Amino acid sequence: MDYRGNPNGYPDPRGPPEQVQMHSVNPGYTEPTHADNGRPPYVIDMHSGIQDLEDRNGGEEDVRYLHARGSRRNWAADNQRDATDLINELPSRQLEQIASDVAKGTIRRKKSKKSFHGTVRGHHDYNDLAASLSRDPDLMDEFDGETRTTEVLRDMAVKLTDKKEIRNNISNSRQRTLKRGIQSRRPGWWKRTKYSIGIGWMHFKYRLAELAYSLELWRSLTKKIEGHFGTGVTSYFMFLKWIFLLNIPIFFLTLCFIVIPQIVYVEFQPSAEAVAAVVAANNMTNVTTTAPVVTTTAAFTGRELLTGSGYFTNTILYYGYYTNGIVQVVGDTEYNMKYAYLLTGGGYYILCLIILALSISRSYKKNYIEASGVFNFYIVTKVFCSWDYNITSPDAARLQHKSFFNEIKEFLSGKKLDGANRDFSTKCKWFFLRVITNLIVLGSIGGSAYCIYYIQDTDYIKNSIVILGKLAMPLVATGIILVLPFFFTRIGKLENYQKPQTELYVGMTRTMLLKAAILGVLAYFWFNRATKEDEPCWETSLGEDIYRLVLVDFVFTLISTFFLEFIRRLLGQYCCKRLGDTEFDIGRNTLDLIYSQALCWLGTFYSPLLSFIMSIKLFIIFYIKAVSVLQNCKPSVRAWRAAKSHTIFLGYLFIFFLLAVVAVSYGVLLVPPSETCGPFQGQEQAYDIVTTLVDSWEGDLDWLHQIFKLVSSPGFIASVLVAFSVGTYYMRIVMVGHKEMVKLLRQQLAMEGRDKAYLLNMLQEVSRSKKEKLRPSTENRILSPTSATSMESLTSPGGRRFARTMAETAAANTPQQSPVPSRRNRRMDSNENLTSRF
Amino acid sequence: MGASQSVFSEEELQDYQELTYFTKKEILHVFKIFRDLSPRDVDRDRNVKLNEDLVMSLPELKMNPFKDRIVRVFSSEEGCLTFEDFLDMMSVFSEKAPKEIKAQYAFKIYDFDGDDEISRDDLKKMVLRLCPSQKDTELKKQEVDRLVGEILKEADLDNDDRLSFSEFQHVISKAPEFESSFRIRL
Repeated sequence: MDYRGNPNGYPDPRGPPEQVQMHSVNPGYTEPTHADNGRPPYVIDMHSGIQDLEDRNGGEEDVRYLHARGSRRNWAADNQRDATDLINELPSRQLEQIASDVAKGTIRRKKSKKSFHGTVRGHHDYNDLAASLSRDPDLMDEFDGETRTTEVLRDMAVKLTDKKEIRNNISNSRQRTLKRGIQSRRPGWWKRTKYSIGIGWMHFKYRLAELAYSLELWRSLTKKIEGHFGTGVTSYFMFLKWIFLLNIPIFFLTLCFIVIPQIVYVEFQPSAEAVAAVVAANNMTNVTTTAPVVTTTAAFTGRELLTGSGYFTNTILYYGYYTNGIVQVVGDTEYNMKYAYLLTGGGYYILCLIILALSISRSYKKNYIEASGVFNFYIVTKVFCSWDYNITSPDAARLQHKSFFNEIKEFLSGKKLDGANRDFSTKCKWFFLRVITNLIVLGSIGGSAYCIYYIQDTDYIKNSIVILGKLAMPLVATGIILVLPFFFTRIGKLENYQKPQTELYVGMTRTMLLKAAILGVLAYFWFNRATKEDEPCWETSLGEDIYRLVLVDFVFTLISTFFLEFIRRLLGQYCCKRLGDTEFDIGRNTLDLIYSQALCWLGTFYSPLLSFIMSIKLFIIFYIKAVSVLQNCKPSVRAWRAAKSHTIFLGYLFIFFLLAVVAVSYGVLLVPPSETCGPFQGQEQAYDIVTTLVDSWEGDLDWLHQIFKLVSSPGFIASVLVAFSVGTYYMRIVMVGHKEMVKLLRQQLAMEGRDKAYLLNMLQEVSRSKKEKLRPSTENRILSPTSATSMESLTSPGGRRFARTMAETAAANTPQQSPVPSRRNRRMDSNENLTSRF
Repeated sequence: MGASQSVFSEEELQDYQELTYFTKKEILHVFKIFRDLSPRDVDRDRNVKLNEDLVMSLPELKMNPFKDRIVRVFSSEEGCLTFEDFLDMMSVFSEKAPKEIKAQYAFKIYDFDGDDEISRDDLKKMVLRLCPSQKDTELKKQEVDRLVGEILKEADLDNDDRLSFSEFQHVISKAPEFESSFRIRL
């Protein structure tokens, strides 16, 4: 009769096996007892092997849990066990064990220091889990235990119903523990206060989350876009929303601290005539005249909306309107507008800096650092992470399938890495071509910058046609910004980069360089104009210029959306089929957003209501773009790497923010404010008020003065910079060390895998030889299918058959005890015990 | 949504809020979606078990090639889902769920035969689902085999011809796109 091992491990139907005396096999074996505490008994104390695990897991409880798992299949007691089952029972195969080990390492939360096993869904054995959880003193704590348990449970891959049961079990056992009088000393007031603060904080967080959920902007529209287009296009809209939300605090700050006091001041100020009369009457000299607020004299015609000047010149829209006086409404409290203006300006720039720095560091960490290292996971990531679960429309799903198919085809045809195959002459050719194209690009950028400067400088254009004259510069500037990027993308295609990603990033960098150059030229022009005599109030002119730029940018966005998406779709549908489907250009649109926001940052200091205008503009643009995308565009076949691009876009935003701050600081620190308007009139530099304030402290608040002098001294700043550099260098060294460690560990892992295969082979031989002894017949030569599959699963294809045949021949002869070179000597002891017995 | 608010007591909502990644309003929203699948049955008994096919007809799941695996992983009984299972499923797929728990469930979803390992067959099935055999997305058999071989070459560290959870977790932790793609927004 053929011998067939049974893969499921059930006893052979032909009869009970020879009972194994476990004591003779393993001295550590204890008889199964049914403990009265409901915990399952453990059968084998493979103490040697478990020792390692115990050290790793750091707790006796985990060891017992492992025993509990092992007991469900009495391994050595049933010697029909095959290697497949052994493989299935290896601790590394137990999903939950790995999950908890990994979770312990990766979850670095302050509150829960340990994480626990989860059970595979479908098993209803949550009693074990509850038992092991109850042994943790952190969770049994009188006060915090409840919250900690909930947090730990929430992160486990267990069914919700089971989680509730487990939580109830744990609270019951907690109550029992408490009742049994294991109260140590009474918890001090500190612990109780900490607990109540913790609970209060948690409730507050929940309420905040609820509020955020109900106030969430544009949720249904975003969901629709996501369903149709996936994560890439949605990332643009999320970015827009983020910038919109960023502008709101800026607006509120300026509103509360600058605009409203100004309005109050205007309402309550003494009229200009009265002031003049007083001055004349008393013959006062050396009076810092608070310049009377010139109320607008021009009438309101429709043109003002376009040019931003005329009626609007002397309103709260611009810097020139703001007084440098003191607002006194309620009694004696003084509200000095000078300090308010400067400090509010500094305040919102610092706020933006903090928000941007936090976002970019978080994004960089998530998308670059954690994703870096040995970049080996190209195709695995593609297969596992490419399907976007957000997709709900059939068209988008079909496109996703197609895009995946294309990528797989491309990968299999080996187009991925081609760099090494290029010979030297081709490389030279491409190098020179790229030098030429870069020169062309730089030349065009320089040319457009000069063009802008020329238009600003010549008065002829300005004076010829009234409206168009003023709008000439914004129109030209925005026009250049609209058209040149297409030129750059075309050049980029010529350059023939290997990876489409590189082409994209190069194109984006060129576009941003162009925009930065234009803004730089404009800033230079504006600050130079300040020294000229014919400008009454250069800050207001600056504000007006920026207002016009923002307005024209908005109009051009609308026009380009209309033409590039709507008209193109019509053309593609009805006349030129060759054009293909319109796709939403995520890169270009996001860069436009970044440019608009940079304008806003540049101009808010000189035109306080600009952030409000910007918010309205973003609001309208969101709806326009959303409608246009849904109506006109089709999802793209090429996948957009949203995560990495997000970091890069934040980087551009940060760079532009820094440039804007540098420009404004230059204006504040070095350019003399105009004489007759604005909060800083009559001073050498706008920053003077701070220095005067600090100096005024010298008398009574001397210590503050000293501190300030110390902090702003060059030595202090230099030492701070040196400390930062040292810190960064240290971090980098640590990172390099970790990378090396990762490499070593990978090699070690591969070696361990081979060790395991080798050992399991040995075990296979042993059990085979043992079976031979019990049934000495020729059937032993027939391979049982299970052992065949298990051996196949162990080693590489080539050596498999050879190894198998060798092992079979060897086992068919005499049982032999081969020496095993391995580090795990202790584990081998139990195996050698087995062999020596049989 | 006053009707569904009276279905749950305050304490139950609190429990759900603590054990999932949702706030109370989101939980009620999820319940509304669940109820819309079969209003009469759910009104009759809140803990009714809805059929798998009914849940798979949700617009969020309908176009997903792995929808049957998703529903199977989260169901407590063969072929049907209760509300708590559904809530659990949506909670894991929500934005606030951390990467680790998403990775665990992703592993279970992609493990077609349920043996806690992603073997070659699992990978083959997965690739065939991502590239269905329609005329423009059909992959030849040897291409699929080659692809599966490449995947294992990259990700299988201990050379046992299958991906264990730790290897899967290792790959996923290096992929920033995982979190944004393994998400269903409600």
